[in-house]
Amino acid sequence: MSPSPDQPPELRISEVTLRFGGVTALDRVSLTVAPGEICGLIGPNGAGKTTLFNCVTRIYRPDAGTITFGDADLTRARPHRIVRLGIARTFQNLALFPSLTVLENTLVGAHSRTPAGFTAATLGWPGTTARHRRLAAEALDILTDLGLRDDAHRPAAGLPFGTLKRVELARALAARPRLLLLDEPAGGLTHAEVADLGGLIRRLSTERGFGVLLVEHHMGMVMSISDHVVALEFGRKIADGEPAEVRNSERVVAAYLGKAS
Amino acid sequence: MSTKTVDVPVEKPAPAGRFPITIVRGSGRYRAGQLGLVALVALLLLAGASAEPFRVGQFTSVLIFAIAISGLNLATGYTGLLSIGHSAFFGLGAYTTGILVVSYGWEPLATLPVGVVLSFLIGVVVGLPALRIRGLYLALVTLAVGVAFPELVKRFADFTGGAAGLVIRARQLAPPDWTGLRLGQRHLWLYWLSAVILILVLLAVRNLTRSRVGIAMVATRDNEIAAAASGVDLAVVKTAVFGLSGAITGLAGGLFAMYIGALSPDGSFTLLKSIELITGLFVGGAATLLGPVVGAFAVVFIPYYSADLASGHVSGIVFGAVLILIVFLMPEGAVGLLNRLGRRIVRITTAAETGSDAGRSAAHSAEKEGEPR
Repeated sequence: MSPSPDQPPELRISEVTLRFGGVTALDRVSLTVAPGEICGLIGPNGAGKTTLFNCVTRIYRPDAGTITFGDADLTRARPHRIVRLGIARTFQNLALFPSLTVLENTLVGAHSRTPAGFTAATLGWPGTTARHRRLAAEALDILTDLGLRDDAHRPAAGLPFGTLKRVELARALAARPRLLLLDEPAGGLTHAEVADLGGLIRRLSTERGFGVLLVEHHMGMVMSISDHVVALEFGRKIADGEPAEVRNSERVVAAYLGKAS
Repeated sequence: MSTKTVDVPVEKPAPAGRFPITIVRGSGRYRAGQLGLVALVALLLLAGASAEPFRVGQFTSVLIFAIAISGLNLATGYTGLLSIGHSAFFGLGAYTTGILVVSYGWEPLATLPVGVVLSFLIGVVVGLPALRIRGLYLALVTLAVGVAFPELVKRFADFTGGAAGLVIRARQLAPPDWTGLRLGQRHLWLYWLSAVILILVLLAVRNLTRSRVGIAMVATRDNEIAAAASGVDLAVVKTAVFGLSGAITGLAGGLFAMYIGALSPDGSFTLLKSIELITGLFVGGAATLLGPVVGAFAVVFIPYYSADLASGHVSGIVFGAVLILIVFLMPEGAVGLLNRLGRRIVRITTAAETGSDAGRSAAHSAEKEGEPR
């Protein structure tokens, strides 16, 4: 719960290319998320932002290029290893476990932290139950922090969209990430909620000591909380720099105005 | 902050009045409830044992089925890996016991662990395709296993007795001396043995499914990609669950061999057995602890009484009609329905959950989506 004394590792994506059949979804994309910084990733729909997330979390394997997190080579890791290395994520279109309660959803997020042995669990060894209880208490703290305490024992199925977005965030936090990948966290929220969310992300990043790679269409939020912004279009990087710099870049303006949706 | 309440079905608020009664885990009332439950189970089992031998036999087959379906429940109910091949595990356990007793003169009880280990290993192997394929395609692989088992038994006739079957002599199935039961009381020995093993299996399933492993199993069923992104090793969960699932169903098979005494490949180990197990699971309630027990009662007794109502093929039709009716009226299974109703009457919480509500700061409650009534 306390801020980490040591700095989180740096995420380095270099020259990543990914093709689906004839379509080049990512074309030699490089970017770096410095330790503990908030990096915004913007671009019109179909620019490859989520595809890049999926490469980092090994849902896709890039055709070329490397992705490293500190010393770890992510392109070689198996999917469940990514979060054990300290990278947690949320999904653009909710990916929760509907039959589990909010608390249990959050507990799944803690799965990366300690191994859950089958044998010990089946026999109900005291160590296992004690650890389960400790993790559950920790998960409840996270839920309280995100204002979800009252929903802890409700099944995820049937809760409002905005609540579920925060449950996903809680699940990612339970992994105690060093880097958090947020895929459109503000999607579907009201204006006031978006402002709150921006502040919340900033605060959590500082308090818990993790970096953020943030995909978001909500420009106001991206520009106000990011330390650094990267813009993609058609799988290529078209801008990379300070928020104000990227916002005023001609290519970024053209990309957005040219693809008014 | 004004929050717009989104028009999505939210869980119904608890009915006003005294219900649900909240019971804190570990409190005096909770302990009393637990003791009452233990006493009730003991009474029911004693009542079952005092019935006439034919009835005791029927109850024994219910207990054995409940074990087999509990095994299937781990893979199909909790983890969402549909298996149509569990008849093979049932058969593997049964033939392991049969062969070791008949050909090698083993004590029947000592054969059960061997069948469990074998079924576990085969279960892990059958679970391997689950790493690549899902849903109905995985079901097809398990179907192949289920189809292959009786054929393999016939192919290795020297070993298994082949199509002619394998008969265990009654003397070899006598109750062990330490039970104090006579040869003629074999039905009681098997009844109590099955009851004890079922209770142990249910305790193990309860421990497992309530643990973080159990949560990971359901997470795997609900959303594989998100489960993996949260650190769940899908390969370990799926193969271990399939192994454990096969082991428990294999254990039931071993007991079945002791119960039935004569094994034939086309008798109890065909795909029909798999279908029976799946039927029991869904009638009783998939992914519930006690669903398999209720389901086992259904698959043993509904055909028995439907045979009373009508004869021959018509009885099969009555059985089918009753099943359709049950599935139609209780899509989540009998125990699933009871659980849902039960939660309206009794709610069990932990001490930590009831105490800390006051500590919540106003800032956090402002973030809430909708006001709680």
